[in-house]
Parts: sequence; C-alpha cells; structure tokens
Amino acid sequence: MLIAFTLNGRPTSVTTDPTRPLLDVLRQDLRLTGTKQGCDHEGECGACTVLMDGAAVRSCLTPVGKVSGRDVVTVEGLAHGDRLHPLQVAFIETGAVQCGFCTPGMLLSAKALLDRQPSPTRTDIIEALDGNLCRCTGYAKIVQAVVLSAAGLRGEAPAEPAEPHHPPMGGSELRSDSRDKVTGQALYAEDMAPPGMLYGKVLRSHLHHARLRELDATDARAFPGVYGILTADDVPGLNGFPAYSREEPVLPEVNSTLRMVGAPIALVVAETAQHAEAAVTAIRVSLEELPHTFETNCALETGAFPIAGRSNVLATFEAAHGDLEGALSNSDHLLDTAYDTAFLEHAALERETLLGYPEQIQDPDGRQQVRITVVGGTHEPHYQQDYIAQALALPLEQVRVIIPPTGGTFGGKQDPWPFIATALMVYHTGRPVRLAYSRHESFDASPKRHPYRVRYRIGANQDGQLTGIRVRIDCNTGGYDGHGQYIANYALTAAGGPYRWTAVDGMARSVYTNGPKSGQYRGFGTAQSTFALECALDELAQALDQDPWELRWKNALADGERSFLGYPLADSVGYRPVLEAIRPDYQRFLHEAAHFNASHAGQPLRRGVGLAGMWYRFGKSGSLRVEAHAELALDGHLIVYCSAPDYGQGTNTVISQIAAEAFGVSRRQVEVINADTARVPASGIQGASRATFFVGGAVSQVVTHLRQETLGTAAEMLDQDPQRLTLVDDRIGRPDDPCQQVTLAQVAEEFQRSGKARRLIGFFDLSDEFPRETRPEYIPLFVTGAHLADVAVNLETGETEVRRMVAAHDVGRAVNRPDAEGQVEGSVLMGLGAALMEEHLPGQTTGFADYYLPTASSMPAIKVILVETPSRYGPYGAKGLGEAAMLPATPAIINAMSRAVGARLHSIPATPERVLAVVRRELQATQ
Amino acid sequence: MTEYLIATTLSEALALLAQHGGDAQVIAGGTDVLPDLRAGKKRPETLVDITRIPGLNQVVVNSDSVTVGAATTFSALHAHPFIQERVPALAEAARSVGALGIQAVATWAGNLVQAMPAADGAVVALALEAEALVWNAGGAPGEWRAVDSLILGPGHSAVDPTRQIISHLRFPLPAAAWGAAWRRIGRRASLVLPILNCAVKVILQGDLIQRAVIALAPVAPRPCRASRAELLLAGRPPSDALFAEVGRMAQQESQPRSSIMRASREYRMAIIPALVRDALWTATHRALRSVKDPDFAAD
Ligand code: FES
Ligand code: FES
Repeated sequence: MLIAFTLNGRPTSVTTDPTRPLLDVLRQDLRLTGTKQGCDHEGECGACTVLMDGAAVRSCLTPVGKVSGRDVVTVEGLAHGDRLHPLQVAFIETGAVQCGFCTPGMLLSAKALLDRQPSPTRTDIIEALDGNLCRCTGYAKIVQAVVLSAAGLRGEAPAEPAEPHHPPMGGSELRSDSRDKVTGQALYAEDMAPPGMLYGKVLRSHLHHARLRELDATDARAFPGVYGILTADDVPGLNGFPAYSREEPVLPEVNSTLRMVGAPIALVVAETAQHAEAAVTAIRVSLEELPHTFETNCALETGAFPIAGRSNVLATFEAAHGDLEGALSNSDHLLDTAYDTAFLEHAALERETLLGYPEQIQDPDGRQQVRITVVGGTHEPHYQQDYIAQALALPLEQVRVIIPPTGGTFGGKQDPWPFIATALMVYHTGRPVRLAYSRHESFDASPKRHPYRVRYRIGANQDGQLTGIRVRIDCNTGGYDGHGQYIANYALTAAGGPYRWTAVDGMARSVYTNGPKSGQYRGFGTAQSTFALECALDELAQALDQDPWELRWKNALADGERSFLGYPLADSVGYRPVLEAIRPDYQRFLHEAAHFNASHAGQPLRRGVGLAGMWYRFGKSGSLRVEAHAELALDGHLIVYCSAPDYGQGTNTVISQIAAEAFGVSRRQVEVINADTARVPASGIQGASRATFFVGGAVSQVVTHLRQETLGTAAEMLDQDPQRLTLVDDRIGRPDDPCQQVTLAQVAEEFQRSGKARRLIGFFDLSDEFPRETRPEYIPLFVTGAHLADVAVNLETGETEVRRMVAAHDVGRAVNRPDAEGQVEGSVLMGLGAALMEEHLPGQTTGFADYYLPTASSMPAIKVILVETPSRYGPYGAKGLGEAAMLPATPAIINAMSRAVGARLHSIPATPERVLAVVRRELQATQ
Repeated sequence: MTEYLIATTLSEALALLAQHGGDAQVIAGGTDVLPDLRAGKKRPETLVDITRIPGLNQVVVNSDSVTVGAATTFSALHAHPFIQERVPALAEAARSVGALGIQAVATWAGNLVQAMPAADGAVVALALEAEALVWNAGGAPGEWRAVDSLILGPGHSAVDPTRQIISHLRFPLPAAAWGAAWRRIGRRASLVLPILNCAVKVILQGDLIQRAVIALAPVAPRPCRASRAELLLAGRPPSDALFAEVGRMAQQESQPRSSIMRASREYRMAIIPALVRDALWTATHRALRSVKDPDFAAD
C-alpha cells in the first residue's frame, strides 16, 4: 500500500504493509537510523519516540498506515542544516548525553513539550520525559537541559555551544561525540547495514536445566532464505572461552547440559530476520529436563543435583588476620545479621547488537587473506579478538574487533559469547552478518549481577569502636561462570569497607545455580557486599545507640593503617574528608525528618534519613603496564591511540583532555583513536573506573614524551634552547621573538625528513612501585565515598519516595566535572533501582514491562560533592570513579527506609510489598 | 497484506465493517492493536481507522453530562479544562495510562474494548458510571450501554471491534455536590501496570453521603464495583470510622490474584482498605469544595 506523509518537512511516500511499525519503516526502508529501538516494539522504553503532528508518540506502536497525510519529525529533522535546535545545544552543553541511545527520543519528547508549553515547570518536564528510559544519566542533566533550552527558546540564553575558554583539565568540557548523538548521525552497530548483510538468530533453551539429547537441523537447513544452521560441530577451534567463563561452550555438544533458560543451542543465518526466525522454530531439539534451583543454599546442600562439578562451587576466596574469637568475646556487643540481593539486569538501552563482516587484507608478505571483523560494544576489544581467534582457530591478525558508539554496557557487554557467535556466522557464510538480541533475549541470556547472601557477625564496644568481623558470602553465579571465578575475591574485599578492624575472618564463594549466568555489573561484585556491610553498620549503630555518622567516623581507616585485607592501602584513603563533606547535609536532613515526623504523628507517611559509605578497589591484577601511542600527524595535530572504549561514560573526552593538557594544545587539536584492534595497542581490561587512571596515565606519559621530542626538534630547527621555547596554538617559538617560530606541521615534516618516529609508544607502569614479589594479587588502590538519602515511606502501602540524595566521592582530581557529576547521578539512580524496584526473575522477566527501571519521576534531588584527595600515582592526581558511585546509594536508601519504618529491611529490592511485610511483622512483634 | 483504511464518517466506518463481514477491525490509537497483530493474535484483512472522523475527537460538556468522542486521546482528556477542574479523577486516570507517548494516541474507548483486567480507563469509567454509545455494523442505530456491562473478562469485551464501534462515551454530572478520586499503586510511579487501581465517586446530600461508587481492579477477572461497600456509605456522614469500615468491606468483596511480577494476592488485599479510605476522603473533600465554591479550581 502507498503511504504518503511529510517527513522532516519533506513530502515522502513509501509502499509497504501499512501495519508495519513506523519505527521499522523509518530505520529499514528510509534509512533514518537516528530513531532507536530499545524494547521489542512494546512501547516500554521511549527510545523510538518521534513527533506525529507535533505530539510525541512511540513509533514502534504506530502502524505506518496511520501516518498517511500526517507530519512526522524524527531526530534527523531537528537541526536546520548545520544549525542545531536549542534543545540539541542544551543537551550537549549540560552533559545530558552519555551513551546517547535515549537521546533522540528524549529530544523529541522535550520538543513536543516546549512546542505546546514554552515555559514548563520542572514537574511538567519530568512528566513529559517520564516515559523515556535512560540508564546512564539519572535524568538530572536531561531535565536541566530542557530547562536551559526552554529559556533559550524564549530568547533568554545563547543558542549555540559556547567555545570552552578554560584549560583542558578540570573544567567542563563538551563531549567530543555528542554532536553526532543529538543529530542522530552517530552510527551504533544496529545502524550499520552493509550490502548483502545476513541475519543471525539464536536457538535457545527454554528450560532452566536440561540435557541436550538430540539436535537435528535437516529440515531447517532446507528452509527458504537459510544460509546456515551452525551447531557445536561447526566451531573450528576451541568450543569455549574459558579465560572468561569456564565450561561455557560456544555451542553445546549433544549430551551436554544446558544450565539456564536462554542457553544457546544453535545459530541460524538467513536472508532476513523473518527467515531466520522461521528456521529457528524448524530445528528439531529434544531436551531432557533436569532438576533445577535458583538458590545457592539449595545448590550447596549435600546431595544437591550437580550443576557443575561435584559441589556446585566455582571459586572460594578467604581473608583472615588477627584473633577473631578473642576479639569477639571481648566485645561489648555482637551483631549477627544477614542480607540478600537479587539478580539485576544491566538494561543498557541498546540491546546486544553486533555486526560482523569479512575483509580482504594483505599479510606482511603481500598475500591476500580474509580478516573477520566484528563491530560491537564491549569493554576490551583485544580480549574479544583473542576469544574469537581461539574459537575460529585463526591467527590474531585475521580477526579484528572495533567498538562503535555503544548504547551503554555497565559490564553487561563484556560477555564474549555474542562476539564469537557473530564471527562464527561470518566465518561460515563469508557474508556480513548482524546479530541483534531482542530485549527479551537480552533478559534471558545476557549476564546479570550476582545475587548475594551475606552473613555477618560483627563485634563492637559500647563506645562504638569496631572490633572483629566474621563474614560469609554466597555469590550466585547462575548457570555459567561468566567471571564468577573472580567475584568471590571482589565480594569479600568490599565486605570490610574503609574501616579499622582488629580481627577478620572472611570467606566468599561463587556457587552455580540454574539462574541466568552472572557476570560483570557496574562495581563488579562489590555493590552487594557494600549494601550488606553498610546496612549492618547501621543496625549496629542503632543497637549501640550511636549516631551512624559518628560510628563511621570513629572507625574510618586512615592512610597507612592496616586495612580489612590485612595490609595497608597503596594510596590516600580520603574517607574522612568524604564523611566531613556530607556531615552538614546529614545533620540538616536528620533535623528536618524529625520535625516532619513529629508534626505528622499518627499519619501513614514517615520520613527517614540514611547514610552509607564505601570503598572500591580499582587497582588491577596482572600486568601493571598499560600501553598507549601518540603521533604527531603531518598536518600538526596530535593523534592518540589507546584502548579505553567509550560506551557512554565519556572516556574519549577525558583521554583527549589529558592529551591536550600534556601536549599543551587545545582539545580540538587532539584526535583519539580508540578501541580498534587493527589500529591501537591493547590497554588491558577496562572497567570504566580504570580508564582515566591507567589509560589516562599511559596517554599522559607518551604525550609528554612526544612533546619533549617535538620541542627538541623545534629547538634544533630554530637553533634555540628547548627550555626557552613555548607552544602556543600550533606554533613553537620564543615568546619574545615572533619571527623565530615553527608550526607543529613543520616539525612533523622535519620528523619525517630526518627519519624520526612521529608515533611514539608509551607506558603507564606501576611495576616498580608495586614489585611483583611483595604486592598482593590486586594492587590496593581504592576510592571511597558516602551517600545520604532522605526518604518518605507510606506505612500503610509500603510505597517509598526517595526525596533527596547527597553523594560525596573522593575522585582524587576531577578531570571533567559535569561528566563526573553525570556518572554519579546515573549511578545514584541505578542504586535506587536496585534498592526499590529492580529484580530479574529467571524465566519470568520478559523485558522493560516487568523489569522496573527508575524513570524521571523516580529521581530524587541529587547533590554531588566531588572531594579531591589527590592520588600519588594517577594522572594529575585522578582516581577511578565510574563504578564506585553506585555502591553507597542502595544502602543509604535502605538505611533511610529502615529508619523511617522503624524496622530493618534485609532484602532488596525493597518493593512496597516487602516494606509492608516488615512493617506488619514489626507491628505484631510490638503488640 | 492488511489494508489500512481511514474512515471519514461513522457510517462509512460501519459500512466498511459490514462489507468485510468480520474480517475488518476498528483501530483507534493502535497501541494495543499493533502488538496483537505482531504477535499474530489477530489477523484482520482490513483495519478501519476511526480517529479522523470529524467530531469523534470532541469533548462536549452539557449541564448534566459530559460526552467524549471515541477518538479523544487520553492526552486530550487530561488537557481538557473542564475535566482538569471538575473531574480531576478522570484527568489523573488518563495520565496513568502507560506513558505520555502512549496517551497521545491511545483512547478511552479503545481502553474499554481492550478490556484488560486493571485498565485505568475502565476503572475510572465504572466510578463515573459511564456509558458507551455502541453501533452495530449494518444494524440499527447506536444504543447507550453501561460500561459496566461491556467488560466481560480479561481481554474480553462485549463490543466486538470487527462488527461494532463505540462512537462516544458519556458520564453524568450529578446535580448534587459530588466528587471523584483516583488512587493507583504500582511498582514505580509511571510507565507500569498497576498493582491496584481504585476510583470512587461520592455524591453528598447536605452532610450525608447520598450515594457512592467504588471501583477496584485488579481484584477480579474484570474491573468491578465493591457494591456491598458502596451500600454501607448511603445516607451516612463521612468519617474515619465509616471509611475504615467501608474499606474492610471492599477488601472482603475482593478476590485479587497473585502476580509474580507485580504483587501477591496478600499484598493487594492488605492495601485495599487504605486505598479506598484515601480515595473516599479525597472525593469527599472535592465534593465539599464544589458546594462551597461552585467554580472551584482543581487541587
Ligand atoms: S522501541 Fe518503542 S518504546 Fe521501546
Ligand atoms: S544516555 Fe540515556 S540511555 Fe545512555
């Protein structure tokens, strides 16, 4: 059917099935990929928002037949030529764009609002954006951007991005990639569709635990449009990726077990997504159902059905020092308590989506070879390259991994499986292949955060001095390892916090169940323990009738003291400055809550204030040498090569800031080439928190070296003492003699002429500071922080409103303030989600309709305090922040709620139902 | 391939349904129809879009009733000045449906035909004692039927969108002082199906409650009224004690189910009294204010 409408001001017509969603027609037929898809055409995410006759609507729920004769505007239609719409400008300026995946939808929802209401209140804005999910920003900067651009549209503010006038470091730098993201030009993996592209689809298990008895793809192979059905037999190399996940196959052999819902069985490659889906259902499988459990305590029982090995235990980690029994028996008070957490989904707005394609390359001897390239969001492209090469039995040069703009990961996209699967499909078909998980599939099959059961026995004296601590943690690693082998270490490390203990006995183990495979998740196993510890300390403070702030202050670890781990930390601790920073707000909140409760006595609404601290180890294990390259390009600009992928947290910007500062040029003269295994060196595993510290350190080192070389050559060219030369803009010379100058381009030419390398290799290397023989497995570099929450709980319904939060973090040195704030705000909302609403139920959760993410109206007022206790090692004193900011939010909220209801909450999420159950239990106990 | 026809008059739409003899289906906002089509739950040959029929997107306020065209979106309902000021419960319910991007196209009438067990639109329609004007394809002129009689069970409405069209909804404006209230509990503030929806209407006579309506969902396979609880209110003065008693009665009348993803039966039962009491007080206050100040503004 022919459908004619106006699209971004131009008459447009398409001939297609009128019941197809407008979203698909825009993206597939009209190649306007700025409009994003975050859910399974369910209307649950808002990423696909467009304007229809001026109203913001969900294009995934709009049959294209409906737009006939109407006026449709997508993100591509917002700017006029090069002139951005004031909303786009404001989004860039405020730092409202992180991964950018929600941005097009947000912009259009905001535009619809401003067009009908030029002076909206904050409440109006939140209401207008409430149906658009964002996982990165915590909404604060987005709301601020709308406020700002409303003013701009009313003629009260500038409408173009202001040129930054401050030095590169410590200011508020605009994100380098934001412009593409606000105009819909940024190409995420799903936006790329090379000619001849095929579609991959995964046949997955629908059972929690099963044995694969038979697998017959004969019928499916004969299906029209099918290019291949791949099973375990088609994996040419290693059928697994044990460095990431022991015993997890790429594809399962017949007679092996499938340990979770969503476990892959076979791959289908076909002409279209529809063909692939049809063929998947035609594969004949027979599964023998096995007993299953999602609970670690059941999996640990003697005689429990084996999921992996004999004991179902994947890894154990222990730490002990001092005489615990003695310490506890001499304590005035003992607290025994336990806490539980749930499976959490990262819920990056972009689903797992990858593109693979074959490339013709020449080997060093000039022979033609095929290289398999995979484009997809992840954390360390070189690791993925390695896993793929092993599975395909190819040399590393024949595998390339590129990280495109990525719509968030939070650890979830570290999973090598989709990378290997995509490469395998390219390997067998010789064609470009796209693998895109549905949202439902992402919930079933992507890694989750490990649920923990944490049990404590903590001793303390009447004056609040902590003594001994005994802790036991069971980490639920689900059906597969997924780095659960390392989780026990992180779990235990976080379980002691930045406090002084006289004796420690700790043990953590990761345990197999038939839940979804757990993996990396912002904070890598530390958030759950932090939650348990900080809630336990609150309980203890209550039992001792101590102020929880005082209790933490009294026991805060100082520089050089023996930590929970048995040895001192490597760097400044910075915990007391953090506690000091939140104290005034803490006291004010307490006072206001007490006043509210007194004046609303007998009413269902109760206020409570909670406090929680944390420490987070960002120091790595393994090699302490991180590599980066810097090049003086022939035209005189600076190119930095490194591998610190930017999946929305702003690494590219931070790296270019550090490079600009070290070279002495403006950031516009710096180009960052990042995360492409064919072009950059491996920089080692990157949590967001490590990028600034380690990769930034390497960049700073190599760029400083390049600057010296550049100045040295310039000095020779000018016959001057290099000490007396300065670099201004792109000119080097003596400030007092403008005739004696060379440009950076001239220096580059001179390098070239004299055969001097324009590209230098540099390392950030802490090996000498931490000699291998004496250092622990992970170098003890920690950051600390503390959060404050002010909540209101309805005692009759269990509903909770988080009203205000204060987040103080020691960042060493704030390299980019709005980015750091944005990271903290995003983390706070993620922590709030974990505290109140998020829970993945294996095999039950289907998507955003039943996995509840915080929306704009869940957002409390957030105040971010960046405390700067400089690091001795990091570039310009910076420490790692990204993940750490999430840790104290959850326990601060839960502590506040426990105070408000007058009884202790022990499991999260604290849904209205769980809160009410605690209230009622308390009521019965006191009656 | 499915046809997509945009009707320009009601009779044209009815004629199209008649022509296709059950293979055509009405579509309004489409936010529920499209997922059903994708899931293969429905396979009509033809979709008949009724949202561009002139007059069907109007809200007409008379002295004793309000009539809402079937193509009126929840956004339009929410933005309507009279509804905002005089029937805030309806404005609030309209704001509860999905998200703004859904309210911009979804309609109240469509919400009723979809007949979900806890549909916001249905719960508030019951409380307002709304009626729907239902037309049969190729049949007699339309007739007004109580909304309460149209919703039969989960996803099951007495209106068959392949053969029938709702053209209008209307609800009475009582002559006496009256107020309505909306109270909703969900796992988060918005963009979520309800754990429990409650809508009430209170009509006063002097200091006494003349009559009240209490609608709850999901406490049964379909949104329904707590009729025994309603009876307790008739002729009695509003008080904490009375509303608590009514809340307990509404609880006794309810049979909610457990939903793994939202809430257990026990929790739903537990909060009914508080919800009903809150809603009754809000409605009573609104009613009292309408006596004091016939032109009162919404709170
Ligand atoms: S893709 Fe349309 S709402 Fe998620
Ligand atoms: S910036 Fe909003 S989802 Fe990433």
